[in-house]
Amino acid sequence: MTEKPITMEPVTKKTTISSLINRERGFLIFIAIMILFPFVMNWITGTGLNEGITKFWQGQFITFFIMAVFAMSYDLLIGYGGILSFGHAASFGGGAYAFALLMKHWAPNFMSQYRILIGSLDITQTIVLIFVFLIVLLVSILIGLLFAATSIRLKGTYFAMLTLAIGQALFILIKATDFHEWTGADEGLHGVPLPVWLNPTQNRLTVYFITLVFLFGSYLLMKRMTNSPTGHVVVANRENEDRMRMIGYNPVSFRTVAFVISSVFAGVAGALYSIWNMSATPNMLSAVTTVDALIMTILGGMGTLIGPIIGAGISQVIQQFFYTWFGARWPLVFGLLFMLIVIFLPYGIVGTWRLKRLDIKEGWHRFVGLFKIQKDQS
Amino acid sequence: MKAKNKKPLIIIAAVIVTAGVLALLYITAGQQTFIRTALSGLTLGSLFFLVAGGLTLIFGLMDVLNFAHGSMFMLGAYIGWQLYTNPTFIFGLLPQVLAFASGVLITPIIKPYLIRWKVPEYWIKILPKIGYLLSLLLFFVSFIGLDILGLADTAMVAATTATAGDALAEISVQEPLAQYWFRPILIFISGALVAFSTSKPGQKSEFAPKEKMIRKLIIPIALFILAVEATFIRETAPVTILLMNGNWRFIIAIIVSIIFGFAFGAVIEITLIRPLYVRPTFIIIMTLGLSYVIRELVQLLWDPLAYQMVRPPLFAQRGKAASLLEWLQNGNATIDIVGVTIPTYRLFVIALGIIMFIFITILMTKSRLGMIIRAGVQDPQMVEALGINVKAVFTVVFGLGVAMAALGGIGAGPFLPIQPIMGDHYQTQGLITVVIGGMGSYGGAFVGAMILGMARAFGDYFALKYSLSTAIAEASTVIIMIIVLLARPQGLFGKKE
Repeated sequence: MTEKPITMEPVTKKTTISSLINRERGFLIFIAIMILFPFVMNWITGTGLNEGITKFWQGQFITFFIMAVFAMSYDLLIGYGGILSFGHAASFGGGAYAFALLMKHWAPNFMSQYRILIGSLDITQTIVLIFVFLIVLLVSILIGLLFAATSIRLKGTYFAMLTLAIGQALFILIKATDFHEWTGADEGLHGVPLPVWLNPTQNRLTVYFITLVFLFGSYLLMKRMTNSPTGHVVVANRENEDRMRMIGYNPVSFRTVAFVISSVFAGVAGALYSIWNMSATPNMLSAVTTVDALIMTILGGMGTLIGPIIGAGISQVIQQFFYTWFGARWPLVFGLLFMLIVIFLPYGIVGTWRLKRLDIKEGWHRFVGLFKIQKDQS
Repeated sequence: MKAKNKKPLIIIAAVIVTAGVLALLYITAGQQTFIRTALSGLTLGSLFFLVAGGLTLIFGLMDVLNFAHGSMFMLGAYIGWQLYTNPTFIFGLLPQVLAFASGVLITPIIKPYLIRWKVPEYWIKILPKIGYLLSLLLFFVSFIGLDILGLADTAMVAATTATAGDALAEISVQEPLAQYWFRPILIFISGALVAFSTSKPGQKSEFAPKEKMIRKLIIPIALFILAVEATFIRETAPVTILLMNGNWRFIIAIIVSIIFGFAFGAVIEITLIRPLYVRPTFIIIMTLGLSYVIRELVQLLWDPLAYQMVRPPLFAQRGKAASLLEWLQNGNATIDIVGVTIPTYRLFVIALGIIMFIFITILMTKSRLGMIIRAGVQDPQMVEALGINVKAVFTVVFGLGVAMAALGGIGAGPFLPIQPIMGDHYQTQGLITVVIGGMGSYGGAFVGAMILGMARAFGDYFALKYSLSTAIAEASTVIIMIIVLLARPQGLFGKKE
């Protein structure tokens, strides 16, 4: 009897373009539909690309794309990392405020004083935008590190409470009237100056495609991250922290990785949101925003990346239609629905689909089989 | 041994530090301002404690972080306010609530017979579903045509027209008994159907003894009689209550709030939280959803407006009382304490907080229930093995916690504007309090609440003095919490895990 030697080498499969396309079929189809959407809408309604109902629906989808990325970044924490954080809006609002503050108070000064030229091409605006986005990244990384640092000593409920407290502290800071001339206190920053090509009222289609590309890129990056060895350790950290420590991984450093990555995505999403609204308001930092992301994640399914996207879509649709169906008190219906989902579909839509996929498929085949014409009836 | 010797030292150090901080504040603020600020801090602190006490009770035993606690605080205020200004709403719905409860509570009586009932295997699964569906149908049928929003609206008339003290609120005409009688009966049947379904007819794996049947009958029959009674006094009781002295009315409002809070908490625990004990994260999410629903429900019933509750006559008379006795005789709105004018209602709120703290301490240390709770915190499995129904204890504790929140709500009613968001701020502060004091420690909750109240009041004072914004006062509680957590992760009075 010879035993097979147990190899410790991980099985590596090379990801090729075709295998990627094969695996992410659904998501790619969704992206393709989204790319075609404004043109089809334009063709059907006959109004221009940048006006009327086409423009309105572009706006709805822009919000949806941004909130989907925000929800996905939250899912990275709660679903993959098992970290219940109530301060995730701090990253979102932090990114938004970093963007809005720089664009409003620093960029106009800079651009009136300096010009950056390549030959005769004026690239000042582009350089300024890139620089501002780098700062946004930096701010969100710092916020992520701040939250990660608190998780060194605290666990479970205490940690959740501390994240809530830090989130609240930042919320209060932004709302403080002492910095009124900078942050605008309660009202927030409005009328953020943007270059014409990025202005959502004048060039909504550009913003639409930028946010769509952002959603596409974030999804692929997050997918890659969760499938990477680091991502697996993050998931293992959720399952059993003590065991991870025994094996020799430092849970804190992997939690930090999860925090920083999710914070970066949330920060950039916040910056894009402040482009879309041309403003940054204290509400973006409040616990309500975190709860929104939580609701989207739960609706779609925790621990899946496609789930939060679906959840964000559903909550967007609900916000749009429930008002007309149920009047001003539509959140009541929504809340009841949410509670039913928590009780009966705890894994969300995608999670339940993955659990019951085989049952549903079998039932479907049986249902189709009822209508098959039997050939040899002897 | 060393750890035991350390304890007195820590206590002495804490006392010295507290005294030092208070003395410092006394010197910098001056006597009058110090007393005024300290009393308003104590008021805030006792309100915080009323929220945090319930939270910490619930968390200590069940590890449930109740994010709907602020909403329950708000709901308690609304219910008390309704009874105080216009009880039509409460008395109009009481018969149905009681009838439904008595219907549901016949479960332990019918269960022993139903599970021995020989049902074909096919029907075992389907019968409960039919029961639930029918009961849902009857439930809705019994409410068709009942103007619930109208009942709630009448109080708003009262809120705007009532001048001061004992003004009689307008009472809307209720449905006459000849039209109303079928509703309690239908809803009783609906409740009985729920009982039928939950007892799983024909299920042989269930266990239910046939003993002590008569004792089990007492509660549902008592509730049924109460429901019948409530049906008859539905139209006259509101008038009777409104004609009472305002102080008595306020006391009744407090009692009704407490009873409502307890019942509401118990129902929430049984229906929504019990299925989720296996998934702790989802309990938090569920309570978040619940707070959302409660707030929307309140906005639906009473419109998203802010109401002012009239203070009971004991706190309403104009003029300043020179002493405690004079206040109790005349019912002045303000009182003079060492040269500082203080609203008397604040003293009542402080007293309410302290009484609740003493009550909880006695309940937890002296009573049998407190003993069971403390044992349950340490080792629920062992307690269950000793023959105590831990599930029932969980329900009672959750009910107690919510009752405390509701009491806090009605206590704060004449003090704060009554509006759907009134609980949010207190919930955040309550959570912070609980974390500072140590989760599950009611003494810690009291100390934490007082610290937070003081920090808030003095923060406001100093912000005003140095012409800063109030953001510092707001943030002070959060900053205290962050410092405490980083220095002592288990809270001031918490035990190490």
